[in-house]
Amino acid sequence: MRAGGARLGAFVDRQLSVLFVAPAFVVLLIILVGPFGYMMWTAFTDLSFALPGHDGNFVGFANFRRLMHDSFFWDSFFLTLRFVVAAVSIEFLLGFAVALLIYHQVTRRRLVLTALLVPMMLAPVAVGLIWKLLLQGDFGMLTYYLRAAGLLGTDQAVLSDAPLVFPAIIAIDVWEWTPFVVLVLLAGLMSLPREPFEAAVMDGANRYQVFRDVTLPLLRPIVALVVLLRSIDAFKEFDKVFILTGGGPGTTTELLSIYTYRMNFKDWDLGYGAACAFMVYLVVLILCAVFHKAVFWQEGRVSAPAPEPVAVTA
Amino acid sequence: MSRAWRAAMLAALLAVLVVALTPYVWIILTSFKSRLDALADHPVWLFTPTFAHYPKVFIDKQYLPLVWNSALVASSSTVLSLVVGAPAAYVFARNDFAGKEDLFFFFLTTRMAPPISVVVPMFLLFTAVGLTDRPAAVIIAHTSFNLSLVVWMMRGFFADIPREIDEAALMDGHGRLGAFARVLLPLAAPGLAATAILCFILSWNEFLYAFILVAFESRTLTVGIPGLVTPHGTLWGQVAAVAVVATLPIVIFTMAVQRHLVRGLTFGAVKG
Amino acid sequence: MAVAFRGVSKVFVDGTVALDTLDLGFETGEFVVLLGPSGSGKTTACRILAGLETPSAGVIEVDGRDITGLPPRERGMSMVFQNYALYAHRTAYQNIAYPLRVRGAPKADIDRMVRAMAEMLRIGDLLDRRPRQLSGGEAQRVAVARALVWRPDICLMDEPLSNLDALLRLNTRTELKRLHRELNTTFVFVTHDQEEAMSLGTRIAVLRDGRLVQFDTPGRIYREPATRFVAEFIGRPAMNTIDGVVADGVFHAGALAVPVPGRPPGPLVLGIRPEDVVVTGADEAAAIAVTVDVVERIEPDLLLFVRTGEVALVARSLGKTTDAGPGDAIGLALPPPALHFFDAATGVRLP
Repeated sequence: MRAGGARLGAFVDRQLSVLFVAPAFVVLLIILVGPFGYMMWTAFTDLSFALPGHDGNFVGFANFRRLMHDSFFWDSFFLTLRFVVAAVSIEFLLGFAVALLIYHQVTRRRLVLTALLVPMMLAPVAVGLIWKLLLQGDFGMLTYYLRAAGLLGTDQAVLSDAPLVFPAIIAIDVWEWTPFVVLVLLAGLMSLPREPFEAAVMDGANRYQVFRDVTLPLLRPIVALVVLLRSIDAFKEFDKVFILTGGGPGTTTELLSIYTYRMNFKDWDLGYGAACAFMVYLVVLILCAVFHKAVFWQEGRVSAPAPEPVAVTA
Repeated sequence: MSRAWRAAMLAALLAVLVVALTPYVWIILTSFKSRLDALADHPVWLFTPTFAHYPKVFIDKQYLPLVWNSALVASSSTVLSLVVGAPAAYVFARNDFAGKEDLFFFFLTTRMAPPISVVVPMFLLFTAVGLTDRPAAVIIAHTSFNLSLVVWMMRGFFADIPREIDEAALMDGHGRLGAFARVLLPLAAPGLAATAILCFILSWNEFLYAFILVAFESRTLTVGIPGLVTPHGTLWGQVAAVAVVATLPIVIFTMAVQRHLVRGLTFGAVKG
Repeated sequence: MAVAFRGVSKVFVDGTVALDTLDLGFETGEFVVLLGPSGSGKTTACRILAGLETPSAGVIEVDGRDITGLPPRERGMSMVFQNYALYAHRTAYQNIAYPLRVRGAPKADIDRMVRAMAEMLRIGDLLDRRPRQLSGGEAQRVAVARALVWRPDICLMDEPLSNLDALLRLNTRTELKRLHRELNTTFVFVTHDQEEAMSLGTRIAVLRDGRLVQFDTPGRIYREPATRFVAEFIGRPAMNTIDGVVADGVFHAGALAVPVPGRPPGPLVLGIRPEDVVVTGADEAAAIAVTVDVVERIEPDLLLFVRTGEVALVARSLGKTTDAGPGDAIGLALPPPALHFFDAATGVRLP
């Protein structure tokens, strides 16, 4: 090897860590931090593609002041919060129940799980489309059966009925994402070490005591993880609601990201829209910090590896 | 466990599966239904299938390029993310340095960034640079979240390989770059594959970035779907066909990568 | 309370035979050790007794009552696990109290019994700590306390000392003997360490490949091993066993010739414990000439690894009975009363 090549080799060796991390860091800086900075800047301007003369003049905190008093924004914000709380709670309880169901099901576990994963692997847009078809007023399959069961009036359609549509999108979110909760909780259950369970059995605990005193405490970190992850993702929800209702009827399903979309790409009020976008980002950032602290505060993994699942025979 | 309990549990499980799968089955069926059957006022379960919708939408309406665009964007952002992200993940797995966890948190937030927040300035920036309606725009956008996914997932996979392997490679005469490329990467190949598939799926399924950042030429399949849903009426057979093509490959991929899904979707915190 | 395994067999789903018709019985108050190499079935037998596994065949009886179908909670037994299996999210106090809480004991009683047990195991001031704040030895004591606090009839221990360092292991052994004496509980102790077994057990059940080989007091196991396997497993260093042939009342193995009057001709296995081998000078008349291979001085013991031709032997003596070094020629005598004989084919002890 020529001397120059050897020196290059040694240089690469010593600086390898930096050389490996730098590209990723730089790419993200460009792809994300750049736009983020631009968004911040835009939020302080009056940029608008709709109004003449609004070509990005600096306006200080005007957009943010407007945001604070914008009842539509806050309606949307709290609507989204209600959506997140309702959807995630139901997904968690239902998901836990199904996970336990599958866990105690001895045969064909993987097959059942794979089938169950379908809803969450579909493109969210496709999910919106599917349910739009199912709930269609004239020929939707589900509409027909709901009417036949007397739950829906003959002229009612779920997606156009104000009191029904919000619960509907919650239900659809539950359909789409409960499998995710099942997947993670099942993995958690299967990774629990066997010995604390056997110890509890030897200590005289019955099935319910074992569940309460061993299973639940051991699962706590994983529960926190899945609840936080779902909350963050639910808060960002856009795709399926966009195609299902577009935020309507009226603004009954106008989640925060859809409101932000409207400000930016319908009203073309980009300065204000950037302020809205910033708020969404901020909330997610806070949730991320909570998530990071709650799940990773102990350096190391949440789960404990174990060779086989716990079989507690009564 | 008594037999009554077992039967009840089995029934419950069956019910869950029916609920999970029926909607998807319905859209697949719809893609093969004639207009009459699809729009009938009571649901039609048995019908003579028609295959006309698929060529109508993919050839006549020229939706075939959309499949290509989706594939192009997904694979490109996956490859790009892997190439840039895997080495970084390796460093995170092996080294300890000041601010490491903070840097990692930075990667977490980039993965979690709300698309609606990022797409707005991205749109403005790309417009200014003239990068509109090109696949490159969407590829870059998708890399923003796939890159972080790669770093998080591969960190776990690299950490699973004992440090002694690295040291053995160094003692055997490799430099650190050689050790990584010749020894670690092959060993982490299953992890790379799983990560790649997950990146591909996320990119293929993505909607908002693709919707905003391209106009017509570079549309992906997901963007094609709303295009067929208009206020004057929707050609359900055709849009169903698009939805099926947009989702079926992913469903099949999922079965291949199911084992590693948990690790990827929970940031490596839970091993599947 | 007599405990009996009657014809217990266990075959796992993948076909491995863990236990093959085990017949074993012992009385209350004993300290029974299940001893054997890995794969011998000792842990399986213990877990079947506990109720954590069900036998494929056979029954477990306690005082003549068939308890094979009973869940662990109803058997009156407790268990100390190899990795202690403490509840990580609870304090030591809560860990020990758990079996009492689960059985609905009144709070005042629980407190009294937990503290008494902690005192007995000398972990009284560790009660507020969590498992991850305890050392290995301390965690193990908490596990033992938890197993004994509710005074079970039988306490099962699955290799509880395996994860402790050598010194701690010895100390804990003594403590366990003391506990056994004070509490009068029946102990069933699983181990692969023959020294532990010999020191702790009132009786030892030697298991191999799922079968019971010998069940006896430590003394008799040592002095009258039932098979070649037991002879070679017990003792450190193990008994010397030599394969050879008897012809005309003399045992031949390579260059070795030992008179064995009265033995029928044919193949035979000769055994002699290292401490029974007498070291003499090389020139002694009736001595067997050997060359020294390796010398190990572990004061006050002296181990001489010698060989003659193909045959290797270990001789053990106290102190400095000889200055022989590697390569030296010395003499050995094998006193007839110290000789053991085993069947060459089956390994069974011969009178």
